[in-house]
Amino acid sequence: MKLNLSWWKILGVILTIYVLIAGFKVPLQPGILEYSENKAFAGQAFSTDLTTYNTYLKKATDLNVWIWLPNDQLIKANGTEVINDTKVKADFLIPTDIEIKNGKSILATLMIDNAEEGHYFIRRAVTIKNESEANLHPGQFFDLSVIKSKTRFAFPFQHILYETLRNTFFHVAIWMSMFALLLVSCYHSIMYLKSSDQIHDKKSSSLTTVALVFGIAGLLTGSVWAKYTWGAFWTSDVKLNMTAISLLIYFGYWILRGSLNDMEVRARISSVFNLFAFVCLMILVMVIPRLSEGSLHPGNGGNPAFSTYDLDSAMRLVFYPAIVAYFLIGLWISELLFRYAKLEEKITFDI
Amino acid sequence: MFDRVLHIIKKELSIELREKYTFFSSILYLIAITFVVFKVFGKLEGPTKMALFWILLLFTAINMIGFSFSYQTQKRKLNYYQLYDPQELMTAKLIFNFIKVFLAGLVLLLLMYIFSNEPLKDGVLFFKVYILMVLGIVVVLNLISAISSYSQNQNTLVAVLSLPLLIPILLLGMRVSLISERMFSDSGVAKYLLMLSGIDLLLLTLSIIFIPIVWKS
Repeated sequence: MKLNLSWWKILGVILTIYVLIAGFKVPLQPGILEYSENKAFAGQAFSTDLTTYNTYLKKATDLNVWIWLPNDQLIKANGTEVINDTKVKADFLIPTDIEIKNGKSILATLMIDNAEEGHYFIRRAVTIKNESEANLHPGQFFDLSVIKSKTRFAFPFQHILYETLRNTFFHVAIWMSMFALLLVSCYHSIMYLKSSDQIHDKKSSSLTTVALVFGIAGLLTGSVWAKYTWGAFWTSDVKLNMTAISLLIYFGYWILRGSLNDMEVRARISSVFNLFAFVCLMILVMVIPRLSEGSLHPGNGGNPAFSTYDLDSAMRLVFYPAIVAYFLIGLWISELLFRYAKLEEKITFDI
Repeated sequence: MFDRVLHIIKKELSIELREKYTFFSSILYLIAITFVVFKVFGKLEGPTKMALFWILLLFTAINMIGFSFSYQTQKRKLNYYQLYDPQELMTAKLIFNFIKVFLAGLVLLLLMYIFSNEPLKDGVLFFKVYILMVLGIVVVLNLISAISSYSQNQNTLVAVLSLPLLIPILLLGMRVSLISERMFSDSGVAKYLLMLSGIDLLLLTLSIIFIPIVWKS
């Protein structure tokens, strides 16, 4: 028995294992989950309990809590009390000479830093109001340069997403590799129309099958993700619904193949439909969601695209290999399907 | 080429006139279904009116041209096959079916006006999107009709294959027609119309390119 091993299959398996391990085991950056108080007045004391995530505050040395003003000045807490590893109480005295532009209040950021973990913050956490005119407590402001930083290999901590951020390596990567598989399938469809070689049709149809399964997997992972971030398994999000429609188109491809009996006609017609469906998929998933308002997906409906803010270098190191890994695995499965179809045909002809 | 296209259109027209009942049965279907819808909904207005307009027109179009590439007799198919270039045949059928669906849509519009008793708020914009929509629907249905004419269970196949392909056109058209009814602010109408014409043009080009492949047998 000869094992049909190629380098790309081994690469696909290695990359998949790497993605699974790194995607699940790499920790999130430390972050601030919640805070007890959100209103502060200039000239008065302000104290708040901060709950953090993924931190070891008991072990931390040189710990400080800061209020980060919009003009990049920092107010240092005059007393911090670590309650446990993920809870700290901070007391501030808000100075009266802070710069408050347009109106009477500003939104400031809460930040914690320590020698071991670097800094982490929660944006727009505290509303500071200045109601007194007199300058009773001139404050001491710090520069951003006093903040301790620590770089480490971890995924960004993001509100609402939290640990579900890891789904990027599954949901998004599965979609991307599905597009790649469909592209290869379209290449084989074109090759079939050029050469009328049944092999291309079989390759194209087995690639489309795998891509369809990937599409369903993408929809399911997206659905679970939506439940934990948007609150429901199915929302009226444009991209989600367009995707469901494009899956319907590809189910139509399968019904079409099933209803045609003549092999030559089936290959020709389904190649044409495959190309047509791919163009419609592009319109549905790439163009329409970008035009309409109110999409929840990044990059659509005025939302910034993924790469601009949440794909940091640690995520890139897992995300891009994930696309390649699923693509290679998909190619492998489709090759198996293709060989199965070839054997089936051989048996039919032999009988 | 133009002469031959015109010749095919004339021939289609003569067949249509010989079998008048097909066109008029579609119109009758339209009248009956509009009446049913009117009776069920009681009052037609706002988004419901527009949504029903497009859905009714879509199903009438499927009835009318979903089977335009399947012929009653094998002989007639052979005749077409030998005589005409597939691209010319496709163009002729597109023009002919466009006119048919366009007329059916006008009838539907008239019925809607009679039943709901309110005129279109922005007729010019509505007719712009109407022409683009009918073109898109006709292009998709013609290609799907040609594709599914090879299959045994053509009836289901036409509906199953064409409906998902038509959804992008329908969504865009629905949006613009709601703007024409003053349901939305008209920001971005030009963008939507441009999109719709882009999709139409793309589908048209694809179906003209693909038809020789589908049609050879």
